[in-house]
Amino acid sequence: MRVLLVEDDPILGSAVRDQIAADGHTVDWMTRLDAAGDCVSTVTYELILLDLMLPDGRGLDFLKARRAARDATPVIILTARDQISDRIAGLNAGADDYLVKPFDLSELSARIGAVARRYAGNPNPHVDIGDLTIDFAARMIHRRGEPVVLTAREWVLFEAFVQRPRALLSKAQMEEQLYSFDAEVESNTIEVYIGRIRKKLGHDIIDTIRGMGYRLGQPKRTIPE
Amino acid sequence: MISVPRPHSLQRRLGLGLAFGVTLLWLAGTVAAGWILQAEIDKVFDSALQEVTQRILPLAYSEVLNGDPPPAGDGSANRLPSVLPHREQITYIVRDSAGHVLLQSHDADATIFPATPRRGFQTASGLRLYTEAGVQGTLFVTAAEPTRDRRQAVIEAAGTLLWPLVLLLPLSQLGVWALVRYTLRPVLVFQGEIEARGRGDLSPVNATALPAELGPMAGAVNRLIARLQRALDAERGFAASSAHELRTPVAAALAQTQRLIAETPDGPPRDRAHKVEAALRQLSLLSEKLLQLAKAEGGGLLAEEPQDLARVLGFVLDDFRSDPDLAARLHLALPPRGVLLSRMDADAFAILARNLIENASRHGAADRPVHVALTADGLFRVTNDSALVPPDVMRRLKQPFERGATRAAGSGLGLAIAETIAVGAGTSLELMSPIAGQPSGFEARVQLPEIVGPS
Repeated sequence: MRVLLVEDDPILGSAVRDQIAADGHTVDWMTRLDAAGDCVSTVTYELILLDLMLPDGRGLDFLKARRAARDATPVIILTARDQISDRIAGLNAGADDYLVKPFDLSELSARIGAVARRYAGNPNPHVDIGDLTIDFAARMIHRRGEPVVLTAREWVLFEAFVQRPRALLSKAQMEEQLYSFDAEVESNTIEVYIGRIRKKLGHDIIDTIRGMGYRLGQPKRTIPE
Repeated sequence: MISVPRPHSLQRRLGLGLAFGVTLLWLAGTVAAGWILQAEIDKVFDSALQEVTQRILPLAYSEVLNGDPPPAGDGSANRLPSVLPHREQITYIVRDSAGHVLLQSHDADATIFPATPRRGFQTASGLRLYTEAGVQGTLFVTAAEPTRDRRQAVIEAAGTLLWPLVLLLPLSQLGVWALVRYTLRPVLVFQGEIEARGRGDLSPVNATALPAELGPMAGAVNRLIARLQRALDAERGFAASSAHELRTPVAAALAQTQRLIAETPDGPPRDRAHKVEAALRQLSLLSEKLLQLAKAEGGGLLAEEPQDLARVLGFVLDDFRSDPDLAARLHLALPPRGVLLSRMDADAFAILARNLIENASRHGAADRPVHVALTADGLFRVTNDSALVPPDVMRRLKQPFERGATRAAGSGLGLAIAETIAVGAGTSLELMSPIAGQPSGFEARVQLPEIVGPS
């Protein structure tokens, strides 16, 4: 998932960026609203984390402008303003969630996951595919009852397929999910990650559509002997 | 102990003063009327006495000349008999220049008349006398009338004037009371408006119906309220800015510490990072509570427009439900239509509700439900299972940094904040143990102020 973080405090911003990256998501971190505006006009984000008090304006105005432009990207407000009236104003402006500083990074990760699932149309954190039992909230996969460990990037890529089971994801889309503006991408990185996921979860978990991209496969349930 | 004098009532003073004034004026009027009456009665009676005397003089002269002896029967040779028996108001005697009594009326007592007759009016020995002379000063007729009759007439007339006062006094009191009450009604309304203002309500008082004399006073009160409101707004703004400025570095420190924990392998440095995280959480909690207390004491606890507090309560519970264990313990009951409109400020109610729920979940029996209820008539209740809290502890619980017999972590400020908000909004926080109708448990309840319409 590609996330835009808009936070002007460098110490807090770097910790949040590292947390989201550690969860396997791609983060673009901006400290001003004008820079954030440039980002959303060039890249499609799956989530925006938005501070309300920024050096060049109010986050709420930015949010209202995005909603007025029919941008439905999920937004979680991160703010030090704890008043319930501020929260109501934020939600009325089109925010999907509201997290008051100081917050636990684990809580932030959970909220990001919940909002992402809600937007994908499946708020249930438990999904079964073939032999796989997936718990998105706990980031755990069991294959025929045995736990399978995915790295953060493998997890994010796999989650992108599961959240949009019928969608065809191009290599460019997946690179956008995995890498921020300042990262250098190797030409065969996506193929490497797809290969690792297939090795851990089964070859038929992801189908290759030659010349176009990849799609979630339809693995069959193995009947125990 | 300093005794504070009871403030006087303007209405009572005006009522008594006006009634006393009316009575005094009436009495003065009665005295003046009596005095005038006395003079008029004297004039009329004197005229009658003079007329009688002058009428008697020729008759007496004729009688004396004719030398007719007076009829017998009264034992007095020169005493004239009465035609019919009656009490004689005016008596008279006829004397010669030497003072010998020649004739007298039948009830006349010669001894009460002055020995030497002198023309004109005289007053002596309770009698009003008039003497007329005739026949070249050789015959004198003196008529006498007791002054007590005149005095009696004046007293009776004045008494008749005093009688209406018995009816007039209560009537004037009633009239004055009604008039004063009617006149002072805008003042009483103004008084009620000012009394209704407090820490929670600093809206301007309505001065539209006030008399011209009180208009400037209302203007001054409203200017004072506006200044107070600005000062409190500045204080609240400062508290909000302080909250923002304080929370961001705490959030940054906490987030960096949590990243440090995540990136550090097990061992003493990681344990140390955990301790820093715990200290930061404690710092965060305490600063949060102190800022809430500052907000609660800063006023502005009543909103100008009614707020849907049921919706606010939903947001507050959402925060608690991010903890799955707590989410399972929380039971919410809202009014049937899920809406409760009150003039209590939404932020103030959120702080109050958060503190009461926090108190119940932290200090209540672990793994037992916490019931949060908001009724249609505005009663907000938070109840939890617990052992009985002794009465002496209950009395102290609302004081800052007071704690019951609990080992649970907390700031010791939650109930003090809730109490400050409740009182500031014009209501109160009631704490009970056991829960009403149950053998144990703890209950906190607040009757929310100014509920608007059916919910």
